Parts: sequence; C-alpha cells; structure tokens
Amino acid sequence: MSALTFEAVRKTFGSNVALEGFDLDLQQGELVTLLGPSGCGKTTGLRIAAGFERADSGKILVEGADISKMPPHKRNMGMVFQSYSLFPNLTVTGNVEYGLRTRRLDKVERERRVAEVLELVQLTALGSRYAHQLSGGQQQRVALARALAVRPRVLLLDEPLSALDAKVRTTLRDEIRRIQTEVGITTLFVTHDQEEALAISDRICVMSNGHIEQLGTPTEVYRKPATAFVARFVGTMNVLPATISGATEANVNGTRIAIPAAKGMGKGSSISLLVRPEDLMLATDGLPGTVTSITFQGASTLVGVRLDVIDQLVSIDVGQGGADTLTLGDRVGVGVNGSNAVCEPTE
Amino acid sequence: MAAISSRIKAYLGRIGPSLVLLAAAVFFIAPILSTARAAFHKVPTILLDRHTWFKKWSLEGVRRAFDEEFFWPTLALSLKLALVTVLITMALLVPTALFVHLRLPKARALVEFLTVLPYVVPPIALVAGVAAFFRPNARWFLNSDFSLAPFYVVMAMPFTYRAIDAGIKAIDVRTLVDASRSLGGSWATTLRKALLPNMASSLLSSAFLTATVVLGEFTIASSLAKNTFATFSFEYFSRDAQGGVGLALLTLLATTALLGLMTVATRSKSRKAATVTRF
Repeated sequence: MSALTFEAVRKTFGSNVALEGFDLDLQQGELVTLLGPSGCGKTTGLRIAAGFERADSGKILVEGADISKMPPHKRNMGMVFQSYSLFPNLTVTGNVEYGLRTRRLDKVERERRVAEVLELVQLTALGSRYAHQLSGGQQQRVALARALAVRPRVLLLDEPLSALDAKVRTTLRDEIRRIQTEVGITTLFVTHDQEEALAISDRICVMSNGHIEQLGTPTEVYRKPATAFVARFVGTMNVLPATISGATEANVNGTRIAIPAAKGMGKGSSISLLVRPEDLMLATDGLPGTVTSITFQGASTLVGVRLDVIDQLVSIDVGQGGADTLTLGDRVGVGVNGSNAVCEPTE
Repeated sequence: MAAISSRIKAYLGRIGPSLVLLAAAVFFIAPILSTARAAFHKVPTILLDRHTWFKKWSLEGVRRAFDEEFFWPTLALSLKLALVTVLITMALLVPTALFVHLRLPKARALVEFLTVLPYVVPPIALVAGVAAFFRPNARWFLNSDFSLAPFYVVMAMPFTYRAIDAGIKAIDVRTLVDASRSLGGSWATTLRKALLPNMASSLLSSAFLTATVVLGEFTIASSLAKNTFATFSFEYFSRDAQGGVGLALLTLLATTALLGLMTVATRSKSRKAATVTRF
C-alpha cells in the first residue's frame, strides 16, 4: 500500500494556479524529491501534505486513508523547515520532547526517545544547549531529530539544506539519507537544487508551473529526460541548432548524428538538440571550434568550445586529465553522441 | 587665523553634543528638583537664603498623605484596575496581532493605524460618548469601578499594540506555529508553549506601559466620578499643597522605577541571549 498519495490535487492562490492535476504515490520507506524552480508548486504540495494548506480539490491519502480534511496537528507527520525552526525558549532536549509532550507520553518514554533520536543525529552531548548556541547545521539536525522523535508516518523536508553553506549542506544531505534509510521512513523532500535531488532521492518528481514534468529515478531523469524542461533544469545541457534528417537522425551543420526517435517532428523540422557535456567529446573529425575556457572541477574538467559555423558555445566534460594538453585558443573538433539527446522543436 | 577658527570649530564639535545633553538634563531635572524642594522643604521660596536653605527639611508632607483615609483604598483600586486592564489588553491584543500576522498580513497597516486612533481622540470626547450611550442603557456598567478598565485598554492601545507587534516581528511566528502544529500542538498549546514564552519581554513591556497609563489617568476617572489614585492625588493637592506635591513626586518616581525595571528586565533577557558563545 502507498504510504502517501496525492490524488488529482489542485490548489490556486487567487488567479495563480499553484498545483494542477497533481498525482503522486510514495511507497513505504521511499524518498521522493519534488524538484523544480521557485513557484513551480513543490512547496505548496508539501504544505498540503502537512495540512498547512487545503487543496481546492483532490485528495491526500496516508496508507489509503483520506486525511484531506484533517488539521495538521492530527496528521502525525514530521516536518523540517527551510528556516531555522527550533523553539528559542527550549533546549535541544526540550525541542525534541515537544512533540512527545503534546502526545502526553510519560517521562521514561520521553527520555528514551530523546536519547534515541539525539544519538541518531549524533548530538547526544548537546541536549542542554539552546538554539542560539548551535550552528545552522546542528539546528537542522535537531529539527530532524525533533521531527523523527514522534515517529511520524511520513517525513516532510522543506528545503532543509538551503540556508546552510556548501560543505555542511553536502554532509547533512548524506546524513539525512543515512538516517532516512536507517529508520526506513517514507520521505517527501522539496528542493530547487538538482544536484541535491540527484544525490539523495529514490525517485525525483520534476515540476514546473504546478504540474509534473517527469517522475523517475535520478538516473532516468538525468539520462532520459522526458521533456526539454527536465533536460534543461536537471544538469547542464548544450544546445545545438539542428534539423531532423531521418527517423532517428539529426543534422547539425552537415554532420549527421544518431538520435532517439523524435516523436511528432517531421523530416526537415528545425530543432534544438540538447546534449549533456559528457555526451560531447574532443574528436578530430567533429564540428570545428576554438577552446575558450578550461575549468578544472576536481574529479573532471569542463572545456568550453566556441563552434565555428553555428557560433555556439558548448561545454564538454573531458573527464580527469582529458584537458592536460589543451591551452586556450587551441583549434579542436567536437564529436556528438546523440543517443541520450533531447529534441526540442524551435519556433 | 584659519587654523584658530578650525580649532574652535573642532572644540565646539566636541563639546556641542554634551552642551545639548546638559541643556536637556536641566530642562527635565530642574522642575523635578524644584518639586522635591517644594515637597520636603518647609520654607517659602521668598524666604530662601543661605540661613534658611539647610533648615526645615522633612518628609512630613508625604507622611501626611500616607495617613489620608483614601490613600490606600484609591491606590488599591488603581492597582486592581491596572491588573484588569493588562489582562484584558493581553487577551484582546495578543490574538489580534497574531491573527493579523498569520492570516491577514495585508491588513497590518490598517490595524496599526486603528490602534493609534485613541491617541488622537481626546479622552474627554471618548468618555462623553460612552457615558451618553451607557447612562440610559446600562447604568450598572458605569456604576462599577471596573467600567474604567475598557477605557484604559483603549487609551493604552497605541503603546501596547506596538510593543506586542514588535515582539511578534522579532520571532519567526509562521515557522514556529507550523513547527508546533506539525508536532501535534493544538492552537492553544502552540500559543502557550511556542509563542508566548518567546514574546515574554514584549508582553512585559506592554504590561508595564499599560500599568503606567492606568496609574496616571485622571480625565476619565474624574468624569465618571471614580476614586482612583490619580483623582485622590488631585483632590489631596487642592487641600494640602505640600503633601500633594510630595505625593506627585513619589508617583513620578514609582512609575519611573517601573519603566526602569521594565528596561532592565527586557534587556537582561536579550543580553543573556547575546552573550552566549557560539560553537
């Protein structure tokens, strides 16, 4: 049975449609990420699940039971917020205990659970601290512990990492995933950061303008983007102007490239061919161009090339050491592997 | 020449602010010192000289006030009124301010404007209107001493609403409410455990400001013929000038002490938060 289900949920704010025909199923123990630019409806979806917003129509089901009209405090969901949300008047222990007190658990059980979740987030030693005595990362870990202490049916994470600096963000991201797997709790995670979504999710739900663009595993979303929007939003994409020259072939300035079948686009139609940096390579017989930038990124190197004829700047992932012999201004050829390319009709 | 004038300018620039401060201090403190002399020194101003300056100082005037039959009952009534006013203010304005912040943020400017209105309506106009309505309709209301409390709630509102509003602005109400609700807190629990404790210093300021307004209010109490501490002070002054002045001085000192206490109480809270080391 699904742990959490959105069934044809619609939500408007005035004349602005935040969610439209939103269907989503979360399986038990799964981490699903709602990914999209700001204003795409992802936070609205999460707040509807939490009960902070009421859907105009449609249903929210938890383990098959309709909770659409249930107030937030009765839904038994744990939530971590984007902004620091610890109660400033309470210690770490007091914060974690909050949900246990509202459930009227006895002292022994409260102490047991507080110890359990603080150990889970590795903050056992900081129980007597107040929020202002903690770093941002620690505060979010306490918020996570507080949400988990009540043993919620679903964990809702509303951009919990976006207020943190890069290094802490990565560490805490991995920690959230570790804890989520360890506890086995169904989790809905909201973010606008595609890297975060790719790293943490079982499935990603890419959204734009209140509807789902694609729902799939991180690999599917990255390698086989369903729409041009997904292709552009997740990861980096090079845009090559091309024309369709066959059922599975495109022509980029005279060079023929094998592509996946372009549905609904006839021979001769103009398209933008969207290709990932790792699907471009340096090849002597490729499209000629000039090296304009070499960006070392640790594990890989990105080479920027301005293509001669179509005057387009492309980015090529040459892997580790692939740019060792290159210098700026070098003349190179760019080969295209079109097997994962996305065709976007041009107007 | 130019060097000298620039040095004079620099000198004036240095002592200028001190001079202004000194002038302001004299302006405020001199009348209080004169009041103190009038209250405790039994020598008419016309007879003041170096022989009489150090003689005949006494607390007699104020002591007489304490012995007055109506001193304690009127003080007790004013304190009770202050308490009732504070309670009504909290019960009305805290939920209102929270509601406006959470549900009607667009109405904030309007509500702020409405809360300032009592400041521009003269108390006498307020009391005349209210009395004209209640006298024929509900005389029992005006007969009760506590009929003053609603007036005081309205009169103190420009100050109290601002203090409460500032307290709400200082915390992230929306997130705290959502956090509490998601953890199973009902609205009542959320208010009691997550919001009010974090607004303590602003609620305290608001309560002190209300109390000072109540203790000093004369117009409405006098118009409705109530024996509050303010009306007693006025009436006593007309009978015993020196004792009355002493009483006024004591009241001034007491309310100043209240405000000082409020500053210390609210500041020590924020200092506690600020001085803790970050790890």
